[in-house]
Amino acid sequence: MITAFAVAPVVLVTLLIGLRGVAAMRTTSDFLVASRRVSPLLNSAAVSGEYLSAASFLGVAGLVVKDGIGALWYPVGFTAGYIAMLALVAAPMRRSGALTVPDFAEARLASPALRKLAAVVVLVISGLYLVPQFRTAGLVLSVVGEQPYWVGVVIAGAAVSITLVLGGMRAATYVQAFQFFFKLLLFIVPAVWLLTQVGPQVRTEALHPVEFTHFERDTAVTFRVPVTLEVPPGAALREPDGTIRPLPEGEWQVPGGRTVVFPAGSPAPDLAGEAAPGGPGWERPLLDLAETGYPLLGTLSVLAATMLGTMGLPHVLMRFHTSPDGRAARRTAVLTVALLSVFYLFPWIYGVLGRVLVPHLYLSGATDTAVVALPAQVDTGAWGTFFTGLLTAGAFAAFLATSLGLVLVASGAISHDLVPGGLRQLRVAVVGAAAVVVLLALPAFRFDAGTLVTWGFTVAAATFCPLLVLGIWWRGLTVPGAISGVATGLIASTGAFTLTLLDPPVGGWVAILLAQPALWAVPLAFAVMTVVSLFGRPPPWAAAAMLRLHLDENRRSLIADRQAVARDLGHSSWSARRSSAVRRITRRLVR
Amino acid sequence: MTTNRRVAVTSPQTRLAHARRRHRGRWRPATLDPADAERAVRLYRAQRTRSALALALLFALVFGLPVLLAAFPALDELRLLGIPVSWIAVAVLPFPAMVTLAWWQLRRAERTEDAEGPG
Repeated sequence: MITAFAVAPVVLVTLLIGLRGVAAMRTTSDFLVASRRVSPLLNSAAVSGEYLSAASFLGVAGLVVKDGIGALWYPVGFTAGYIAMLALVAAPMRRSGALTVPDFAEARLASPALRKLAAVVVLVISGLYLVPQFRTAGLVLSVVGEQPYWVGVVIAGAAVSITLVLGGMRAATYVQAFQFFFKLLLFIVPAVWLLTQVGPQVRTEALHPVEFTHFERDTAVTFRVPVTLEVPPGAALREPDGTIRPLPEGEWQVPGGRTVVFPAGSPAPDLAGEAAPGGPGWERPLLDLAETGYPLLGTLSVLAATMLGTMGLPHVLMRFHTSPDGRAARRTAVLTVALLSVFYLFPWIYGVLGRVLVPHLYLSGATDTAVVALPAQVDTGAWGTFFTGLLTAGAFAAFLATSLGLVLVASGAISHDLVPGGLRQLRVAVVGAAAVVVLLALPAFRFDAGTLVTWGFTVAAATFCPLLVLGIWWRGLTVPGAISGVATGLIASTGAFTLTLLDPPVGGWVAILLAQPALWAVPLAFAVMTVVSLFGRPPPWAAAAMLRLHLDENRRSLIADRQAVARDLGHSSWSARRSSAVRRITRRLVR
Repeated sequence: MTTNRRVAVTSPQTRLAHARRRHRGRWRPATLDPADAERAVRLYRAQRTRSALALALLFALVFGLPVLLAAFPALDELRLLGIPVSWIAVAVLPFPAMVTLAWWQLRRAERTEDAEGPG
């Protein structure tokens, strides 16, 4: 019921707005970058709409419930990335005239091999980023509306691919810009309502966190995956017929798919390997990753991954290409920082209220649903249902907007870079990419949205961040250097994640550096790229190719200029003379 | 006979699209016009200095703040309107600071381009 009311309008509006883009779609450029006619304000709203994914709308608050106030560093890193982008990448990237990141790699270094490698990296990043979006769509619908998990996943996949197949980037732009303001509204209004409804006692408890040790009221916990609980003495559960049965003390293996009702006053069991919400260190503003006891190191590696990763996210970079010129791209970045800052002032409210009202979610590993679970805890009547509906709609808008950009960039990588083709092939690639992601998301429901998305950021930070920064600001970059650097970053980051999944018997700072490798993988990729480039020689046109990125559009038109000076246009020696003159000047000036 | 020759009629956009597809393949990055080269070098150098400064400030803010909070745990006890100061330092403070930094960097970058004059 609630699903139909919350999700159907969002999907419908997405499709309707998407239809607006259909009329003017003829070329790959139309499809991928909306013919580069998008104004900074519209574009920054679209960037923000695309960027505020499941990880931002639900994940941050969920991580606050689970890991503590330190999880609020994620939004700081997410926003800071756009300042790095503004300072280093935005304008030069747009001036390259490329359509995608692999396109840029070829425009700067003229290497088809690098282009193919970059396209593979794009696919890895968008896979890591897309799976949690679809997965959270399924999870939220199963929590709110009691649908099976796969229904939400399939709805998300279908809505995204239909919008894109019909309207491409132009459709995506309007949809994402609309959805940003929609999400902002649907995030702020329930937050204010919750704050006024919870009453002074809960507000005080929220500001003075205590450890979650016992259930304050009868609480049903649904375990979707099998977990191991440590049952303290005195714990009990309520049988379906209402009688209270004491639980045996010690380890308790709960099978997946079971719902357990704990009666009010029962001590809460502990989840093996996790600290309870509100426990020691929860209120510290540092992120103790995996409870290893190195909170500062954990915080810094998350910040490095999110900040530097934002700079290399292919779907965000592609949005910058829809700007008319470099100056507009820069303004887009600044407006995006402002819009995101407004949004990110609110997740902590959901987080600290969730600590008080829904701490039991951590037992089943479903803290991602804390935001949508809150209204029902505060008001069991119509208003609670209404606000649950609003938040579900907002969360669904978040999945859709982000998935639109990611599916677009993935299909662009397949059909524009790996197997070049026309518009029809792009549309087929969209459907194919969405189908593959749906299949990947179906078995992935045990992963936190935050974890997988941060892995996507880390891969972007270790591959595209060095490629873009060195490609734009260092003329000495060579093709072997770029290829080996990108490959090193890709292997280092994905290798560390694979090791983490195998759960090696390491602890302390080694575990942090494996689970969150940005702090060493990014410098390593930079170092490999630089050293290998220093051993080779950049081609003679490299300096001119780099400088072209920094030349603003704010100058006389090239053609008018040539006619005015009446240079020997059409003379057979012109092109040779021109390139040697450029070479001479750049050799003299760039040092 | 000549009057019967068939001519393909395509819109300019379609022709452009076809041309773009045919152009794909090996290519060399376009070179600069000599008149623009010196201007590009000046812009490159000016923007490099300015970007480096903005980036240094950003790193100081983003990486300095956690170090500061780790060094002074007393900030957890200090409260402003009932909210711990260290929470405000994470959840609220960085955002206005980052908006200001971004705005400042944009103005400097655009001024650099304006100061170079139109060509």
